[in-house]
Amino acid sequence: MQDFFEIARTDFAAAFEGAWMFPVLLFSVLWILLKERDKLKKLLLCGVPALFLFLYWCPFTGILFMKLLGQNVYWRLLWLILLAVVIPYAACMILKELSVVQRQVAFVVMMAGLAFCGKNVLSPEWFEPSTNVYKLPQNVIEVCELLPGNIHALVSNRLMPYIRQCDPTITLEYGRNALVYNSITNTDIEGQVLYLEAQKPEIDLAVLAPLAKEQGCTFLVLSSSRTYLGAWEDYGYQEYASTDEFCIFVDQDYKEGQDTRKWEE
Amino acid sequence: MRLEILLVMGLFFGGTFLSGHAVCHVVKVKGEGVCFPVLVGTMAWWALMEVLLVPMTMMHRSFGGFVVVYSGLLLLMVAGGLWWGRKVIRKELTEVFREAKEYLTFGHVVAMLLIGYQLYFLHHHMYLEWDDTYYVNLANEAVHSNRIYWVYPETGAFADFDKRYVLSLWPVFYAWLSKIFGVMPTIMAHTILPWVVVPLAYMVYGLIGERLFVRERELQGMFLAFVVLLHLFMSGEHTTGLTFLSITPWVGKGVLATVLIPMLFYCMMRVAKRDKKGEWMLLGLTGLGGCLLSSMGIMLTPVFVGGTICLLAWYKREFRYLLRGAAACLPCLLLGCYYLYLTR
Repeated sequence: MQDFFEIARTDFAAAFEGAWMFPVLLFSVLWILLKERDKLKKLLLCGVPALFLFLYWCPFTGILFMKLLGQNVYWRLLWLILLAVVIPYAACMILKELSVVQRQVAFVVMMAGLAFCGKNVLSPEWFEPSTNVYKLPQNVIEVCELLPGNIHALVSNRLMPYIRQCDPTITLEYGRNALVYNSITNTDIEGQVLYLEAQKPEIDLAVLAPLAKEQGCTFLVLSSSRTYLGAWEDYGYQEYASTDEFCIFVDQDYKEGQDTRKWEE
Repeated sequence: MRLEILLVMGLFFGGTFLSGHAVCHVVKVKGEGVCFPVLVGTMAWWALMEVLLVPMTMMHRSFGGFVVVYSGLLLLMVAGGLWWGRKVIRKELTEVFREAKEYLTFGHVVAMLLIGYQLYFLHHHMYLEWDDTYYVNLANEAVHSNRIYWVYPETGAFADFDKRYVLSLWPVFYAWLSKIFGVMPTIMAHTILPWVVVPLAYMVYGLIGERLFVRERELQGMFLAFVVLLHLFMSGEHTTGLTFLSITPWVGKGVLATVLIPMLFYCMMRVAKRDKKGEWMLLGLTGLGGCLLSSMGIMLTPVFVGGTICLLAWYKREFRYLLRGAAACLPCLLLGCYYLYLTR
C-alpha cells in the first residue's frame, strides 16, 4: 500500500510538475459543476474526470491497474482525464456570459493566462533545429554516408540508437539492451568483454580486435577521443574513414560490396 | 519533401474521408461534415489493419503480402464510399463550402494560426526519441527485410518476438505508407507523419467543440484555440499525454493519447445523445483501432469506456448501456486477455 501511494504520488507530480495545470483543472471542474445546467455535460465533463482521478488514487483500483498496465507506466492512467476538453470548456463557459467585445478581450487574456500556467512544449529545452530530412543527429548522417551498406558493425553508444534509422541495411553488434553491461565489472563472457572494452577511454586492441573479428564486426565506429594500445594493422583492422567525432575501422579481409550482415536464429 | 507530404496528406485524408462514408452507410450513421467521415475512416483503417496484422504476423506472412491485401481492402472501402456516398458527399461538401464563412471567427483564426505555428516548428525541428530505435526500426525492418516484426529492430541481427508489442504494431502503419510512397519509414515517421497526426487530433477536438457548443461558431473557435494552446503549453514532458502531439506525433502512444482517447470521448458523447446500434458500432470500431496503436490502447480503452459507461448507465438508469458498452469493448477485452496470456 505504501509503495502504491509512493508510485502514484511520484507519477502525479511528474505529470503536473513545472506548471499550474492541475489547479486550473480543479478550478475548471468546479466551475462546470456550479455553472453548467445541462446534466449530461456536467456528468461527462465533471463526473468522468473525477471518476478517473478517484480510480488513480484509490489503492484498490490503483494496485489492479498497476498490475495490468505496469508499475513504470501507471501515470498513463492520467491520460483518461481529458485536460484539453475540460479546461477549454470551462474557459468558454466563462466567455459565454460576456458581451461580444468583452468576450474577445477576455479570450485573449485567458489565452495568455493559460500559456502562463503551462510550460512551453515547443522549447529549445526539448527540441533542436533539424539539419536533415531524417531528423537524426548530423553526426549519424555523416557516419552513415561513409559506411557501405549490408555490413555488420560495432558502433559507439552515441550512434547506436540512430544508425539503423538512417541505414537499416547495417546490422549492429549491440542494441540498447547492452547498456546493462555498463554495471558489470568482472566478466568472461565474450560479448560483454567486447562491449566493455569498447567503452574504455584507452582501448586495448589485443582484447578488442580479436573478439570483434570473432563476432563478425567488419566495421568498428569509435569515438575519435579514444586512444589505443597497439596498432590496428597488427590485429587485422585498418582505418577506413573518419568524421569530426568518430573514427571508422574496417576488417582488412573485407572486400568492397561484400555482404557481412549478421543473422542469428 | 513538400510533394511527399502533400501526397501522403491527400491519400490519407481523401481515403479516410471516402472510407468514412462507406462505414457510415453500413452502420447507418449520418456522415455529416468533413471531419467526422475522416475520423470514422481513420478508425476503420486502423481497425482493419489490426484485424489483418495480428494473424499475418503470427503466421509469418511477408510485409509485401500484407501491403497488397491491406491496400486492396482499403481500395474496396474507398470505392464503397464513392458509390454509397456520391449524393451525400456532394450535398455535404456544398453545405460545408456554403457555411465556410461561419468558421471565420476570431477563435478559429487564432486556432489556425497556432496549428500553423506548431506544424512549422515541428517541420523545422527534431526531437530525439530514445524508443525510436525500436519502433521506427521496426518499420524500417518491415520495408527492408519484408518481414513483419520477426527481426529484432535495434540490431537487425537476430530473430525476436517481443510479446508485449505483437498485438499493437502501429509502426507497420507508417511502413505501409512508406511502401506506397517509396519514402523511408524514418522520414515518414519524423518528417511526414506529424502533418497527418496533428490535424487529425485537432479534428477530434473540433468535433467535440461542435457537440458542446451547438451552432455557436464563435465559441467553437475559441474552444479549439484553447485546445491547441493547451497542447503547446502543458506540464510534464513525457507524462501528460498532450505533449506527445508535439514531441512524438509518430509514436503509437502519442496517437493514443492525443487522437484516440479524445475520439473515444467524442463517441461517448454521441452514444449518450443517440442510443443507436450504429453509434455503438462506431465506438467498437474506435476501440479496435486503438488496439493497433499501443498495448496501452488495449488496456486503457475498456477502462475509459467502462468507467464512462457506468456513469452514463447510472445517469440514464439504463442497464442496457452497460451491455452495449461491454459489447463495444469486446475486441479490446479479447485482445487484452490474449495480451495478458502472452505476457504472463
